[in-house]
Amino acid sequence: MKNRFYQLFAAALVAILLGTGVVLTQRPADAAETPAADPMQFARGAQTWANTCARCHNMRDPKELRDDQWRVAIAHMRVRAGLTGQEARDVLLFLQGSN
Amino acid sequence: MKMFTNRKTIATSLAMLFIVAGPAQAQTDASRIDELEAKAATMAAELAELRANLEQAKESESVQELQSLRAETVAARQAAQRAETSANEWKNTTSVTHLAGYASADYVSPENGNAAFGVNFNPMFHFQYNDKILWEAELEFEVEENGDTNIGLEYSTIDWFLNDSMILIAGKFLSPLGNFRQNMHPSWINKLPTAPPGFGHDGAAPVSEIGMQLRGGRNFGGQGKFTYAGYVGNGPKLEGEDGEIHAIEAEGFAGNPDDEFVYGGRVSLLPFPKLEVGVSGAFGDVAVVENDGADISGDPTRGYTVFGFDSSYQLGNFDLRGEYISQEVDAEPASIAPEGGKWETWYVQGAYKFGQAKWEGVLRYTDFKSPHADDSQEQLAFGLNYLLAPSAMLKFAYESNSGLAGEATNDDRWLVQLAYGY
Ligand code: HEC
Repeated sequence: MKNRFYQLFAAALVAILLGTGVVLTQRPADAAETPAADPMQFARGAQTWANTCARCHNMRDPKELRDDQWRVAIAHMRVRAGLTGQEARDVLLFLQGSN
Repeated sequence: MKMFTNRKTIATSLAMLFIVAGPAQAQTDASRIDELEAKAATMAAELAELRANLEQAKESESVQELQSLRAETVAARQAAQRAETSANEWKNTTSVTHLAGYASADYVSPENGNAAFGVNFNPMFHFQYNDKILWEAELEFEVEENGDTNIGLEYSTIDWFLNDSMILIAGKFLSPLGNFRQNMHPSWINKLPTAPPGFGHDGAAPVSEIGMQLRGGRNFGGQGKFTYAGYVGNGPKLEGEDGEIHAIEAEGFAGNPDDEFVYGGRVSLLPFPKLEVGVSGAFGDVAVVENDGADISGDPTRGYTVFGFDSSYQLGNFDLRGEYISQEVDAEPASIAPEGGKWETWYVQGAYKFGQAKWEGVLRYTDFKSPHADDSQEQLAFGLNYLLAPSAMLKFAYESNSGLAGEATNDDRWLVQLAYGY
C-alpha cells in the first residue's frame, strides 16, 4: 500500500516535470496556421499521405470529407498513427487542397 | 440776290454747326468706348470669375462623386469580406464536431449449428478544440441472440496535444499493446469478418484500459519514424471458476478492486514508411475479484505480464502483417484459484489486391492457446473481398477451425459480411 503511494508520487512528479517541460518548450499554438510561409508543405503532405495513410486501412479519398471534417479526422489519425504535429499539418493542408 | 444770301447763311450756319458739333460728337464716342471697354473688362472679370466658379463647382462635384464612389467601394469590400468570413466560418471555427464510426451486417454459417444473420453498429464522436484537444468516443451496439441490444462504451478519451510529439490521453482507451486491437479490429479495416482467435474478448490480447496514456511519434533519418505509447491503468481483473482462473478480463474497468495499477506500453520503429516493427509489454499486480459469477474481495494479488511483438509490411498490392501477444498471471498458492496461466496467440496474414484494386484475396493463420483446452483454437481463414468504396467492403470468408472436439471452436464456418466505415 505504502509502496503504491510512492509509485504514485513518483508518477505524478514525472508527469508534472514532463508537463512543465512540454509547456515551456512548445511553440505558440497560433503559429500553426501559416501555410503560405512554407511552399513545400503541400508536397510534403502529399508524400506523407502516400507513405502513411494506407498502412492500417485502405487509402481514404481526399474527396470523402470536407475541410473541417479532415481537421478532425487528421487529429484523430495523429493519435492513432503517431504522426508528428508537423506531419499532421502537412497532410491536412494536402487533403484540404485536394478535396 | 437776297435769296442767294440766305442760302449762303444757311450753308455757313450748317458749316458752323458741323464745325462746332464735330468735336462734340467725337467727344461722345470716346467716352462711350471707354465706357464700353470698362464694361467689357468688368464682363471679362465676371466671366473669369464665373468660369472659375464653374470649374470649382465642377471640381467639387467630381470630388463628391469620387468620395461617394470610394465609400461605396469600401462598403462593398466590407460586405464581401463579411460574406467571405461567414462563408468560411465553418472552416475557421475554433471547435469542430464530427460524427464517424462503422457498421456491419454479417451472415455466419457454422458446420454444426444454425446459420444466422447478425448486425452491429459503432458510432464514433469527435469534438476538437483548435490543435489542442480532441475528445474521441465510440459506442458499440450489438444485437444479441435473445434480441437484446448490448451497448458498450468502446472508448472515450480526452486527447491533449502537448506538443508536436506528445499527446496526453485520459479516459477509457483501446489497449495500446500490440496492433490488432487498437488499429485493425474495426470491421471496415479488418480484411476478414472476424478477429483472429485470441484477439477478442477473454482472449490473449488486452482489449482496453481505463487510465492515462502518453503517446506520439518522432521522425529520424530521412524517412525513419519512431512511435511510442506508455500508460498506467486500473488493469484487468481475474475471473475464477471451479478453483481455476477462467479468464483474464482486460476490458477497461472503472473500479480497481485489487488496488493495484498496471503499467505498460508499446514502441514501434518504421525504418522506412512501409515497414513497421512494434514491441509491447505491460506489468503489474492483479487479483481474482470474481468467482463463479459472484464478486469477491481479499484474494491475494499476483504478478501479471504482457508481451507482444507485431510487424506489418506493404509492397505494391501486397499487405503482410503478423502479431504475437501473450498475457500471463503468476501462481498464488493462497488464492481461491491458485494456479497461474498463460494465454497466448499469434497470427500472420497476407492480402493481395487485384482487378484495379477492387478485389482482395486474404489468407490468415492463427494459433490461440489458452490454459483451457475448450478455448484454444487453431484457424486458417480464407477471404475474398470486394471493395465498394475505400471504406466499404463485401467480404466472403471460410474459416477452417480446429479446437476441442465437440466445441464451437472446432467448427468450420462460412461467413459473409458487409462493412462500412465513415
Ligand atoms: C496506425 C494505423 C493507422 C494509420 C497509419 C492511419 N489510420 Fe486512419 N484509421 C485507423 C483506425 C484504427 C481508424 C478507425 C478508428 C476507430 O474506429 O476508432 C481509422 C479511421 C480513419 C478515418 C475515419 C474517420 C475517423 O476519424 O475515424 C479516416 C478518414 C482515416 N482513418 C484517414 C486516415 C488518413 C488520411 C491517414 C494518413 C494520415 C490514416 N488514416 C492513417 C488507423 C490508421
